Amino acid sequence: MAAPTRSEALSLLRSLIRTSRQFCDYNIREYAKRRVVDGFRHNRNLSDPSSISSAYADGKAQLEVAKRQSAVYSLYAPKVKSIMEAHRIN
Amino acid sequence: MALRAAVLRHLRVPVQFSALARRECQPTPCSGGSLRLFSSQDDRSTKEEVTERVLSVIKRHPKVDPSKVTPDVHFQKDLGLDSLDTVEIVMALEEEFKLEIPDNEADKIDSCNLAIEYVCNHPMAS
Repeated sequence: MAAPTRSEALSLLRSLIRTSRQFCDYNIREYAKRRVVDGFRHNRNLSDPSSISSAYADGKAQLEVAKRQSAVYSLYAPKVKSIMEAHRIN
Repeated sequence: MALRAAVLRHLRVPVQFSALARRECQPTPCSGGSLRLFSSQDDRSTKEEVTERVLSVIKRHPKVDPSKVTPDVHFQKDLGLDSLDTVEIVMALEEEFKLEIPDNEADKIDSCNLAIEYVCNHPMAS
Protein backbone atom coordinates (compact mmCIF):
# COMPACT_ATOMS: atom_id res chain seq x y z
CA MET A 1 0.00 0.00 0.00
CA ALA A 2 1.31 3.43 -0.94
CA ALA A 3 1.96 5.90 1.87
CA PRO A 4 -1.01 8.23 2.43
CA THR A 5 -0.75 11.86 1.46
CA ARG A 6 -0.77 14.63 4.01
CA SER A 7 -4.37 15.54 3.28
CA GLU A 8 -5.46 11.90 3.56
CA ALA A 9 -3.86 11.71 6.99
CA LEU A 10 -5.53 14.96 8.12
CA SER A 11 -8.82 13.71 6.73
CA LEU A 12 -8.47 10.53 8.81
CA LEU A 13 -7.79 12.71 11.85
CA ARG A 14 -10.98 14.66 11.20
CA SER A 15 -13.04 11.52 10.77
CA LEU A 16 -11.65 10.10 14.00
CA ILE A 17 -12.42 13.28 15.95
CA ARG A 18 -15.93 13.44 14.48
CA THR A 19 -16.56 9.84 15.45
CA SER A 20 -15.10 10.34 18.93
CA ARG A 21 -17.59 13.13 19.55
CA GLN A 22 -20.46 10.70 19.15
CA PHE A 23 -19.70 8.65 22.24
CA CYS A 24 -22.47 9.40 24.70
CA ASP A 25 -20.43 8.77 27.83
CA TYR A 26 -18.38 11.83 28.76
CA ASN A 27 -15.35 9.85 29.91
CA ILE A 28 -15.18 7.68 26.82
CA ARG A 29 -15.76 10.68 24.57
CA GLU A 30 -13.00 12.75 26.11
CA TYR A 31 -10.65 9.78 26.21
CA ALA A 32 -11.28 9.03 22.54
CA LYS A 33 -10.61 12.61 21.46
CA ARG A 34 -7.43 12.72 23.53
CA ARG A 35 -6.27 9.34 22.28
CA VAL A 36 -6.84 10.31 18.63
CA VAL A 37 -4.79 13.49 18.87
CA ASP A 38 -2.07 11.80 20.93
CA GLY A 39 -1.81 9.00 18.39
CA PHE A 40 -1.27 11.44 15.57
CA ARG A 41 1.29 13.39 17.58
CA HIS A 42 3.11 10.23 18.48
CA ASN A 43 3.51 9.30 14.81
CA ARG A 44 4.09 12.76 13.41
CA ASN A 45 7.80 12.22 12.79
CA LEU A 46 7.51 8.93 10.93
CA SER A 47 9.48 9.05 7.70
CA ASP A 48 9.64 5.47 6.55
CA PRO A 49 6.86 4.97 3.96
CA SER A 50 6.02 1.47 5.17
CA SER A 51 5.63 2.53 8.80
CA ILE A 52 3.55 5.55 7.67
CA SER A 53 1.20 3.34 5.73
CA SER A 54 0.94 0.80 8.54
CA ALA A 55 0.11 3.63 10.99
CA TYR A 56 -2.47 4.92 8.53
CA ALA A 57 -4.00 1.47 8.12
CA ASP A 58 -4.09 1.13 11.90
CA GLY A 59 -5.89 4.47 12.15
CA LYS A 60 -8.43 3.36 9.56
CA ALA A 61 -9.07 0.17 11.48
CA GLN A 62 -9.46 2.12 14.72
CA LEU A 63 -11.92 4.43 12.98
CA GLU A 64 -14.11 1.44 12.17
CA VAL A 65 -13.84 0.22 15.77
CA ALA A 66 -14.78 3.68 17.07
CA LYS A 67 -17.77 3.91 14.74
CA ARG A 68 -19.03 0.50 15.78
CA GLN A 69 -18.45 1.09 19.48
CA SER A 70 -20.11 4.51 19.50
CA ALA A 71 -23.17 2.88 17.95
CA VAL A 72 -23.12 0.03 20.47
CA TYR A 73 -22.55 2.34 23.46
CA SER A 74 -25.41 4.55 22.33
CA LEU A 75 -27.71 1.65 23.15
CA TYR A 76 -26.37 1.61 26.70
CA ALA A 77 -26.07 5.34 27.26
CA PRO A 78 -25.47 6.39 30.87
CA LYS A 79 -28.70 7.54 32.50
CA VAL A 80 -27.01 10.32 34.39
CA LYS A 81 -24.68 12.81 32.79
CA SER A 82 -21.19 13.21 34.11
CA ILE A 83 -20.74 16.05 36.58
CA MET A 84 -18.12 17.39 34.18
CA GLU A 85 -20.72 18.17 31.55
CA ALA A 86 -23.58 19.05 33.88
CA HIS A 87 -22.96 22.79 33.60
CA ARG A 88 -23.07 22.79 29.83
CA ILE A 89 -26.22 23.98 28.16
CA ASN A 90 -26.46 22.00 24.97
CA MET B 1 -60.20 22.61 -18.61
CA ALA B 2 -62.75 25.30 -18.89
CA LEU B 3 -64.21 24.31 -15.56
CA ARG B 4 -60.77 24.26 -13.94
CA ALA B 5 -59.94 27.69 -15.28
CA ALA B 6 -63.24 28.99 -14.08
CA VAL B 7 -62.71 27.57 -10.61
CA LEU B 8 -59.21 28.98 -10.41
CA ARG B 9 -60.36 32.39 -11.47
CA HIS B 10 -63.16 32.24 -9.01
CA LEU B 11 -60.84 31.22 -6.15
CA ARG B 12 -58.21 33.82 -6.80
CA VAL B 13 -60.41 36.87 -6.79
CA PRO B 14 -61.46 36.85 -3.13
CA VAL B 15 -57.88 36.31 -1.95
CA GLN B 16 -56.62 39.28 -3.88
CA PHE B 17 -59.49 41.32 -2.74
CA SER B 18 -58.98 40.54 0.94
CA ALA B 19 -55.23 41.17 0.72
CA LEU B 20 -55.85 44.54 -0.84
CA ALA B 21 -58.53 45.33 1.68
CA ARG B 22 -56.25 44.48 4.58
CA ARG B 23 -53.50 46.64 3.24
CA GLU B 24 -55.85 49.54 2.90
CA CYS B 25 -57.41 49.37 6.31
CA GLN B 26 -54.14 48.76 8.21
CA PRO B 27 -51.74 51.57 7.51
CA THR B 28 -48.55 49.45 7.15
CA PRO B 29 -46.99 48.99 10.58
CA CYS B 30 -43.61 48.04 9.12
CA SER B 31 -43.04 51.05 6.92
CA GLY B 32 -41.46 53.10 9.70
CA GLY B 33 -38.14 51.33 9.33
CA SER B 34 -37.92 50.16 12.93
CA LEU B 35 -39.10 46.65 12.09
CA ARG B 36 -37.70 45.12 8.94
CA LEU B 37 -39.50 41.89 8.23
CA PHE B 38 -37.56 39.22 6.32
CA SER B 39 -34.32 41.13 6.66
CA SER B 40 -31.30 39.38 8.11
CA GLN B 41 -29.94 40.35 11.48
CA ASP B 42 -27.71 43.32 11.86
CA ASP B 43 -24.51 42.26 10.11
CA ARG B 44 -22.10 44.15 12.29
CA SER B 45 -23.24 42.78 15.62
CA THR B 46 -23.30 39.19 14.36
CA LYS B 47 -19.80 39.54 12.96
CA GLU B 48 -18.54 40.91 16.27
CA GLU B 49 -20.18 38.06 18.13
CA VAL B 50 -18.72 35.47 15.74
CA THR B 51 -15.28 37.04 16.12
CA GLU B 52 -15.53 36.88 19.88
CA ARG B 53 -16.62 33.24 19.89
CA VAL B 54 -13.96 32.20 17.37
CA LEU B 55 -11.29 33.90 19.46
CA SER B 56 -12.48 32.23 22.64
CA VAL B 57 -12.37 28.82 20.96
CA ILE B 58 -8.81 29.45 19.81
CA LYS B 59 -7.75 30.70 23.25
CA ARG B 60 -9.10 27.51 24.80
CA HIS B 61 -6.63 25.41 22.80
CA PRO B 62 -3.93 24.24 25.24
CA LYS B 63 -0.97 25.19 23.07
CA VAL B 64 -2.10 28.73 22.37
CA ASP B 65 -0.93 31.70 24.39
CA PRO B 66 -4.23 33.55 24.93
CA SER B 67 -2.54 36.95 25.05
CA LYS B 68 -1.33 36.53 21.46
CA VAL B 69 -4.73 35.83 19.96
CA THR B 70 -6.14 38.64 17.85
CA PRO B 71 -8.54 38.48 14.88
CA ASP B 72 -5.60 38.76 12.47
CA VAL B 73 -3.35 35.94 13.66
CA HIS B 74 -2.20 33.16 11.37
CA PHE B 75 -2.31 29.79 13.14
CA GLN B 76 1.03 28.46 11.97
CA LYS B 77 3.04 31.64 11.41
CA ASP B 78 1.95 33.65 14.44
CA LEU B 79 0.82 31.10 17.01
CA GLY B 80 3.42 28.46 16.20
CA LEU B 81 0.87 25.71 15.69
CA ASP B 82 1.29 22.75 13.38
CA SER B 83 -1.19 21.22 10.97
CA LEU B 84 -2.54 18.86 13.65
CA ASP B 85 -3.33 21.81 15.94
CA THR B 86 -5.00 23.58 13.05
CA VAL B 87 -7.23 20.57 12.45
CA GLU B 88 -8.06 20.47 16.17
CA ILE B 89 -9.01 24.15 16.19
CA VAL B 90 -11.18 23.82 13.09
CA MET B 91 -12.91 20.81 14.67
CA ALA B 92 -13.47 22.80 17.86
CA LEU B 93 -15.03 25.57 15.76
CA GLU B 94 -17.30 22.98 14.16
CA GLU B 95 -18.43 21.97 17.60
CA GLU B 96 -18.90 25.53 18.84
CA PHE B 97 -20.99 26.65 15.87
CA LYS B 98 -22.67 23.28 15.24
CA LEU B 99 -21.29 23.05 11.71
CA GLU B 100 -19.95 20.37 9.49
CA ILE B 101 -17.02 21.80 7.56
CA PRO B 102 -16.07 19.66 4.55
CA ASP B 103 -12.42 18.64 4.28
CA ASN B 104 -11.52 20.80 1.31
CA GLU B 105 -12.90 23.88 3.08
CA ALA B 106 -11.28 22.95 6.38
CA ASP B 107 -7.89 22.67 4.68
CA LYS B 108 -8.12 26.31 3.61
CA ILE B 109 -8.81 27.69 7.07
CA ASP B 110 -5.38 28.55 8.41
CA SER B 111 -5.90 31.90 10.07
CA CYS B 112 -8.34 33.63 12.39
CA ASN B 113 -9.64 35.88 9.63
CA LEU B 114 -10.51 33.01 7.33
CA ALA B 115 -12.21 31.15 10.18
CA ILE B 116 -14.34 34.16 11.08
CA GLU B 117 -15.21 34.76 7.45
CA TYR B 118 -16.14 31.13 6.89
CA VAL B 119 -18.42 31.01 9.94
CA CYS B 120 -20.04 34.36 9.06
CA ASN B 121 -20.85 33.18 5.55
CA HIS B 122 -22.15 29.81 6.65
CA PRO B 123 -25.96 29.73 6.60
CA MET B 124 -26.25 27.06 9.32
CA ALA B 125 -23.90 28.61 11.88
CA SER B 126 -25.51 28.99 15.28
